[in-house]
Amino acid sequence: MTNLQTPPLDVAARAEGARKTYGKGENTVHALDGVTVDFKVGEFAAIMGPSGSGKSTLMHCLAGLDSLTEGRVIIDGTDLTGLSDKSLTTLRRDEIGFIFQAYNLVPTLTAEENIRLPLLLANRKGDEAWINRVIDAVGLRDRLHHKPSELSGGQQQRVAVARALASQPKIIFADEPTGNLDSRSGSEVLRFMRKVVDELDQTIVMVTHDPVAAAIADRIVFLADGKIVDEMRSPTAEKVLDRMKQFGN
Amino acid sequence: MWKVALKGIVARKGRLFLTSLAVILGTSFLSGTQIFSDTLNRTFDTLFAEVFADVNAYVRSSNVIETDFGAEERTLLPASIAEDVAKVEGVQSAIPQVQAYARIIGKDGEAIGSEGNGPPTFGAVMTENDVFWELLDGRAPANDTEVALDESSADAANYVVGDTVRISAKAGTRDFKLVGIAKYGGVSSPGGATFALFDLQTATEFLGTPGFIDAVLVVGDGSLSDRELADKITASLSSYKEIETLTGDEITKETQDQIGAVLDFFSIFLRIFAFIALGVATFVIYNVFSITAAQRMRESALLRAIGASRKQVTRALLIESAAVGLIGSAFGIVAGIGLSRGLKAMLQAFGVDLPSRGLVITGSAIVTTLVVGMIVTLIAGVFPARSAGKVPPIAAMRDSVSEVVTSRKSRFVFTVLCFVIGGASVIAVFAGAAAGILGLGVVAIFMGVLAIGPVTARPLAMLIGAPIQRLRGVTGTMARENAARNPKRTARTAAPVLIGVALVTAVTVLAASLRTEIRNLIGEQFKGDYAISVQTQGFGGLSPTLVDEVAKLSSVEQATSIGFATVKIADKGRFASVINPVTAAGLIDLEMIKGAQADLDADGVLVSEGQSEKLAVDIGDTVEAMLTDGSELELTVRGIFDNGTFTTGGFVVNRELFADRPTSQFDFAIYIVKKDGVSDESARAELGALVEQSGVGKLASRSEYIDDQAGQVNQLLGLVYGLLALSVIIAVVGIVITLLLSVFERRRELGLLRAVGMSRSQVRSSIRWESVITSLIGAVSGVILGIALGWVIVRALDDEGLKSYTLPIGGTIGILILSFMIGVIAAIYPARRATRMNVLESLSAS
Repeated sequence: MTNLQTPPLDVAARAEGARKTYGKGENTVHALDGVTVDFKVGEFAAIMGPSGSGKSTLMHCLAGLDSLTEGRVIIDGTDLTGLSDKSLTTLRRDEIGFIFQAYNLVPTLTAEENIRLPLLLANRKGDEAWINRVIDAVGLRDRLHHKPSELSGGQQQRVAVARALASQPKIIFADEPTGNLDSRSGSEVLRFMRKVVDELDQTIVMVTHDPVAAAIADRIVFLADGKIVDEMRSPTAEKVLDRMKQFGN
Repeated sequence: MWKVALKGIVARKGRLFLTSLAVILGTSFLSGTQIFSDTLNRTFDTLFAEVFADVNAYVRSSNVIETDFGAEERTLLPASIAEDVAKVEGVQSAIPQVQAYARIIGKDGEAIGSEGNGPPTFGAVMTENDVFWELLDGRAPANDTEVALDESSADAANYVVGDTVRISAKAGTRDFKLVGIAKYGGVSSPGGATFALFDLQTATEFLGTPGFIDAVLVVGDGSLSDRELADKITASLSSYKEIETLTGDEITKETQDQIGAVLDFFSIFLRIFAFIALGVATFVIYNVFSITAAQRMRESALLRAIGASRKQVTRALLIESAAVGLIGSAFGIVAGIGLSRGLKAMLQAFGVDLPSRGLVITGSAIVTTLVVGMIVTLIAGVFPARSAGKVPPIAAMRDSVSEVVTSRKSRFVFTVLCFVIGGASVIAVFAGAAAGILGLGVVAIFMGVLAIGPVTARPLAMLIGAPIQRLRGVTGTMARENAARNPKRTARTAAPVLIGVALVTAVTVLAASLRTEIRNLIGEQFKGDYAISVQTQGFGGLSPTLVDEVAKLSSVEQATSIGFATVKIADKGRFASVINPVTAAGLIDLEMIKGAQADLDADGVLVSEGQSEKLAVDIGDTVEAMLTDGSELELTVRGIFDNGTFTTGGFVVNRELFADRPTSQFDFAIYIVKKDGVSDESARAELGALVEQSGVGKLASRSEYIDDQAGQVNQLLGLVYGLLALSVIIAVVGIVITLLLSVFERRRELGLLRAVGMSRSQVRSSIRWESVITSLIGAVSGVILGIALGWVIVRALDDEGLKSYTLPIGGTIGILILSFMIGVIAAIYPARRATRMNVLESLSAS
């Protein structure tokens, strides 16, 4: 396809000519229709687009949760194409962090155990200093031994962000992280994510349809009908809202 | 992963409880039967250890005829041997032993102790200064008009010293004066048996054979070891033929082993039902794991998304299964203690009265239960755990998660394979293969039916639900749809009901066929107006003198008796039927194929067709035989009769064979024809008076007798029903658990329905009908399977003489009604839970 060379070192994730189709013949749906995009290390990027634009599919494929019909995804120099379920699992465990819209935590484990879960799964000790930094950043040291049900929605989501950070991944994917939260809790989580990128040098790729949420990112990639249609740097909520309105027309 | 798994268990106590409940029920029967058997074994071991505690040696004949089920009958010894033993150096006392059948008649005219199924009823010897019997009141019997009783029999019948006690034994029925009450080795009644005690002379004449004793119990003076004493006695008895002397320890051990063998047989019988219950429970556990695994799909997907491998997710669920198995089995052991008591009570209710002292819980019982419980739970957990591991990580982001459905093709292939194996083994058995293969076939057919369950569940639910929908309107529709919407779950819930109902139906069919068979046979072979009979199981019965007294009555035209005796024929101990061919003419019809019943002479034998083929003998041939007095003789085959008869063992001999021999035989029935012109009332009155005087036996008209004999099947049927009941209870619990989990899963939907105006009673009704539909899916398939199974078993038993297949229509309908009620009962609690939910809370639940 276009560029088969290894991407430069400052690229955390890359999609090349990514194509994802569902169905056959006349009923073919192109969820992704040739997307090529880079996400740089230390960047807080947002993917936006109307419903059905393919933004979630793009993220799932980038994160190794779903596979492409055509094209390839490279995470930290590793081509995901053709990787076995086992290698994909290891990659997700060690290189990628996840934040979902809801059902993010294992309800039976405490906040701290949830944070350490990826390490537990990998049977790794982890970097204690790093974990301490993460826990401090979450700011929930006094609630570490509480179950998720005893935390507010915003607190739960902050724990989820902390868990995504625990194994020092190369990149964190967030799927509508504020979708289930009220605006106050939402901004609390967003501020925390910003802090993680700024202070802990992490890379976050976030899918959202909320202009306020997207405005906190460094860069926004706009998707429509499976294609990248625009990009915006240093966004504000107003600018994003204006751009989104164009999709309606 | 351990942490995740174990935390998961602790956090979901409700689910843990529900899953463990199935394990507890399944394992409790297993531990219950084991505790029961161990306790019984220990009781008897202690008992015989006590009985023989003071015995240093035991002299008996070495000539023995062993019959099935570990029973044996030994040649008697001449009574004089006791005096010779007493002369041996080192012997303090030599006590002649006579122990035989005797029944104590109570003040109300009824014999005490249970007939046939209870502990034995004995007559024995008691001497002054008896080594075993310790007098509590009065003195030892001294002549042929006196008797002593064991304490518990005297208590049971309210007898005190000075009363007149009627006793029935081999020589007939006589009245004795009660002169003493005694207890035995510290217990009021050994093993619950009843004892009537006589002086030696009376015992040999009344209970056994005059001049003969069973054995000699020897108490040493302490100068020799038991072994030395036994050897010395054997040496000094060289003039007697076929004598052996055992030490006290040897006779104790041998007696314990003999009873142990009988108890083992019984334990295996109980354990079969324990394993059936465990199999049913496995299905319930499997179902609960499947449902909860499905409900946790999102959690499993989350674990997969953040980097758990398939193996790790599967392992977490397996660890949980193992823990549930361990915890459930531990409680199962505790529950088993209670169940062992229940088992004893139930057997008692069916007339099997067993003694028990204390409670014995062996380490092996605990280990077996824990290991079996864990294995069963792990097996039940494997498939759900594997499918949980297969959940795609992306499912963590989807709104709804559905159960992973395995391919229908492999399901069909498996089912067809099972049916082919099942059908082939059935055909093989019909064609003459070993009956054991039938077991394999039955298991294969069950597996096939269960495997196809998820495919048939939906159409069945729609079919059974149709009338309910018409009857109940919208709640009926919802019940029907709910039962049909997850066919896999419905099938798994119905499976335990299916297994239980199929077994109950098969047993009912078998029992009905047996009853018909017995009716037909007795109807054809017994031609009299009346019968006097006892239910014996090979020990004791009617005195052989009774038939002569009956024949003398003025209202009786003809009377004949049928009895049994232990005879060794062709090197095998058998219970042969004993008849008097002269008086039997016209009263007993053996349906001869060759020869005539009347040809049976004193040293002749009539052989069933099956036995004649096995032994390859025909009319005129001789077979070698040995009687219990040790005499060896040749019996000439005088006729061959049809297999299907109510005689025992396939051999019939003449009563005269035993005349003037020291052997014991009893009658189990007397058949009577009344004189012409004598009214039924007067015949009954005269016969009734004689039966009452004799104290044992039951007078019945021809039709009553046939009903009684056929009804004996019901006793066993009741016992089997009782033992299957636990499997049925587990099936009910299975429905309850499934409904509870379904209600929890659908709480959003239920909240919505409530919000838009569904009343509480409508919610209850819809859950109740869903439960009924599920239960009936299992019941309908189970009844069909059970009827087929019953037919196969009856066909397979054709060679054993079972020829009448009977479909019990009333019983089958009863089973279906019961299944309907099971559905209603199972729904009570889940329905209540469903209506108690807060509408708003259930709506906001996620």
